[in-house]
Amino acid sequence: MSEVNAQPEQVTLSIDGREISVPKGMNLIEAAKVAGIEIPHYCYHTHLSVAGNCRMCQVKVEGMPKLTIGCNTGATEGMKVSTHLTSPEVAEAQRATLEFILINHPLDCTVCDQAGHCKLQDYYYEYNRQPSRFAEEDKEHKVKALPLGPNVILDGERCILCTRCVRFCEEITETAELGVFNRGDKSVISVAEGEQLDNPLSGSVVDLCPVGALTHRNWRFNTRIWYTKPVDSVCPGCSTGCNVKISTRDEQVVHVKARLNAEVNREWLCDEGRYGFDRLVAGEQLSTPLVIKDSGEGARTTLADIAAAMQSVKAGANETAVFLSPLLTIEDLYVAEKFLLDVLKIEAGSSSVAMQYKSRQLDAVSQKLVSPDFAPNARAASLFGWAGSGENWREEMTSRYEALLGSLVAGKVKRLIMIGDAAIAPIDAERISEQVVSQLEFSLALVSGSSSDANNEEFVNGPFSSRAVIRTAQYLVPVLGVLEKQGLYLNRDQRLQRLIAPLAPRAGVRSEWQVLAELARVSGVTLLSDNVVSARDLLLHMGRSDSRFAEVTPTRVGSFGIRLASA
Amino acid sequence: MAKKILTRNVEFTDQCRIAAAEKRGAYTAVRKALTMTSEALIAEVKASGLRGRGGAGFPTGMKWGFVPRNIGKPVFLLNNADESEPGTFKDRVLLERDPHLVIEGMIIAGLALGAKWSAVYIRGEYAYPAFQIQAAVKEAYAKGYLGKNIFGSGIEFNIVVHRGAGAYICGEETALIESLEGNKGQPRLKPPFPAVVGVYGSPTVVNNTETLAALPWIIENGGSAYAAIGTEKSPGTKLFSASGHLVRPGVYEIELGYSMLEFIEKDCGGIRDGRKLKAVIPGGSSVPILRAEDIANVTLDYESIRDAGSMLGSGALIAMDETTDMVDACMNLQHFYTHESCGQCTPCREGSHWVEKIIHRIADGHAVPSDLDLIRDVCRQIAGHTICPFGDAMVTPALSFIKKFPEEFEARIRTIISTSNKGGADVRSECSA
Repeated sequence: MSEVNAQPEQVTLSIDGREISVPKGMNLIEAAKVAGIEIPHYCYHTHLSVAGNCRMCQVKVEGMPKLTIGCNTGATEGMKVSTHLTSPEVAEAQRATLEFILINHPLDCTVCDQAGHCKLQDYYYEYNRQPSRFAEEDKEHKVKALPLGPNVILDGERCILCTRCVRFCEEITETAELGVFNRGDKSVISVAEGEQLDNPLSGSVVDLCPVGALTHRNWRFNTRIWYTKPVDSVCPGCSTGCNVKISTRDEQVVHVKARLNAEVNREWLCDEGRYGFDRLVAGEQLSTPLVIKDSGEGARTTLADIAAAMQSVKAGANETAVFLSPLLTIEDLYVAEKFLLDVLKIEAGSSSVAMQYKSRQLDAVSQKLVSPDFAPNARAASLFGWAGSGENWREEMTSRYEALLGSLVAGKVKRLIMIGDAAIAPIDAERISEQVVSQLEFSLALVSGSSSDANNEEFVNGPFSSRAVIRTAQYLVPVLGVLEKQGLYLNRDQRLQRLIAPLAPRAGVRSEWQVLAELARVSGVTLLSDNVVSARDLLLHMGRSDSRFAEVTPTRVGSFGIRLASA
Repeated sequence: MAKKILTRNVEFTDQCRIAAAEKRGAYTAVRKALTMTSEALIAEVKASGLRGRGGAGFPTGMKWGFVPRNIGKPVFLLNNADESEPGTFKDRVLLERDPHLVIEGMIIAGLALGAKWSAVYIRGEYAYPAFQIQAAVKEAYAKGYLGKNIFGSGIEFNIVVHRGAGAYICGEETALIESLEGNKGQPRLKPPFPAVVGVYGSPTVVNNTETLAALPWIIENGGSAYAAIGTEKSPGTKLFSASGHLVRPGVYEIELGYSMLEFIEKDCGGIRDGRKLKAVIPGGSSVPILRAEDIANVTLDYESIRDAGSMLGSGALIAMDETTDMVDACMNLQHFYTHESCGQCTPCREGSHWVEKIIHRIADGHAVPSDLDLIRDVCRQIAGHTICPFGDAMVTPALSFIKKFPEEFEARIRTIISTSNKGGADVRSECSA
């Protein structure tokens, strides 16, 4: 692990003739990155202890008689390092290491999930490219498809025994399910008798595995990686905002991999988030605005009609309740704030407005990564005065939401507006009685789909379902689901991160902010100028005109996020 | 050849009992050591020139000097009784027949290092020696020679006997420490070195049993007296485990500098059945083999054997006569290393079995001439590229046997005389890319 002291002493060293300055003791793999040089490695990981067993990162250091491993060698003043770029001895050692790994490695590429994103394949082409000289009658055979637990399957033959998975379970989740059994070339990863790899972050070992030894049970054999479309985004499952790469094929999520971000999730991801993208997609999606008649059937309507109905209700701020989905982006919230002020005359920070916020219990292992909520953008609420930004922000958000829900349940609300999926938590659906619903004078919901589809149980029964919202709504307007949206989220540490849609948006359906702007327009109010068309346009406009978002641009936020300057 | 420092009392069957041992002088030296400072003890051992007897031959006094003192961490002393180097069976003699000598040596080392805790890490297969040393430790505790107040000095020193579970690699000091801590016996990366980070992260010294057993004599008679025995760079005496085709195999205590041929012919009685010496492995299978003609002027010490192209190692001398098939012998040894590889790092884990398989093919007559070059190349990529010296040890039999007896290996390799498909090996060498 790399530790940064308060005052790291800098040293100057040269790698392949390039001079660089790095903190003293920084390992040579990291130092080489600074010099723009890749030192290949398998067992080394920035956030795990050093194992030094793969021998792939060997380098030549002037003055040392033998080659040394870069992962366990610290930079010192005046050190002269040669990688494969300038040392034939190093290049030969790397070639040999790959040859050694490959002698017992099965020729599984044609059926292995890792093909196309496999470090053994990649390094072979980069550092070896020779035919193997192993000409023996037989190689070592090991177990081929051993379920280690509910989510991960092991192929013992493909394993190169880098022990990243073992160290992850020992050091990160501290559950220590995995170990190396036997010795010599009979060594194999496994779980002890009666044990299972079942910690809440277990799928992360598949991300860590450089080869196809560890595979996701859910996605085994489902697709070749080159048929998929990858998108760098964040998981919307909670306010941690783990950085992920979501791969889709035919508009379905087929693979999710954690991205390395030292400030957020290192390279870990929880199983609920990773395998739970189905929870975020409504089975039956809305395509046009609907008005729900007394019979319960939905009839097509228009935004103009909805706007008229909304204006016809005489209700003050204290008889109005506006619930905001925790999945709304900052762009959505920005326009919502304008809508409430300019169209409904509800002032900024009004207690009539609350973001849905439910806390959740987490076991000790989950707590290492997961946030105790289902709200990826909860902290943004404070930017708009809908929550405090101090230490007790979670408690404040809970009590604010519960208070507003309480007044709805008590029948004190005449005009109800619910913006986004799960604007009211699905678990609160039963608290809203039929009587309360029938007494509402106006009830509008912006949702992505109906909850009546039994095909997607994960969505219907999960924390992001809109069943409470739909049950209470008189008017439904379709908006994009969270996997179809683009925008910014502010995570629990007030880090701005980009949400990028892995799925193509449905034709004719738009984000909440666009719907609200249109609803305002047909009500005679212009919220945004005509040249703000896309989410990017909106963000640039926000950056220019609103000091809260000064200096925020998509490029600055980038793939790994930035801390909010005004935080 | 009279000097007996280590084995003076091993012939007595009651030497393992403390009362009898004490009558013959046991625990005299340690009483003297208790009157000396730690610095004085270390100086005496440095002056003796005593070198580690486990195989590496590292100067013991110098190793002790690497231990940082007064850093707020306890110092641990470990007695490496793993004795797994093939051909080595000397430490067991001390543990079985004169365990109190070993205990006394450990106490002296403990005083020199300021160590309160020590362990005898003894290989699991040594059930009887473990029994013996454990019984002797119990006797020493009962008499107050171990425990919180040894010899009434107020100093604490403890010995724990810890049995291994059958792994050669646990003789490597960091793997030994791992095993002692309850982990899998896999070597650690160095640096950091055990003298600084050892057992439970604390400074640790690992010494061989025989090394520790030499300490009582050194303290009683002085370091310079020890240095006067043997040769200048290889002072003192050493136990040699002589085995193989000898008339009298066994453990012998020899003053370093003695002629190897004389040792074989006089002390060990020469080769049995009137046969002739063909080859000698001087110091355990991890050191290079020598042909009989190579050892004409070699003496039993570190320098002479090194100059002859091998190493003194653990002093396990294996003598082979003219009936020995060198290819079969090599295969036997290679199988040992493959079997004992801990499997942690790539070159050793994969390469050991690969080399064994090639030698197997040579022995079976399915090899081609390029296979010898292949063995050399594979071994070259293992040696120096591993976490621990096991990799270097593992390639030594293959490389040295082929180097010294090329005629035997070449004879076993089939010469390709036709292009007909006689099996995979032939086709491969014809069509290599």
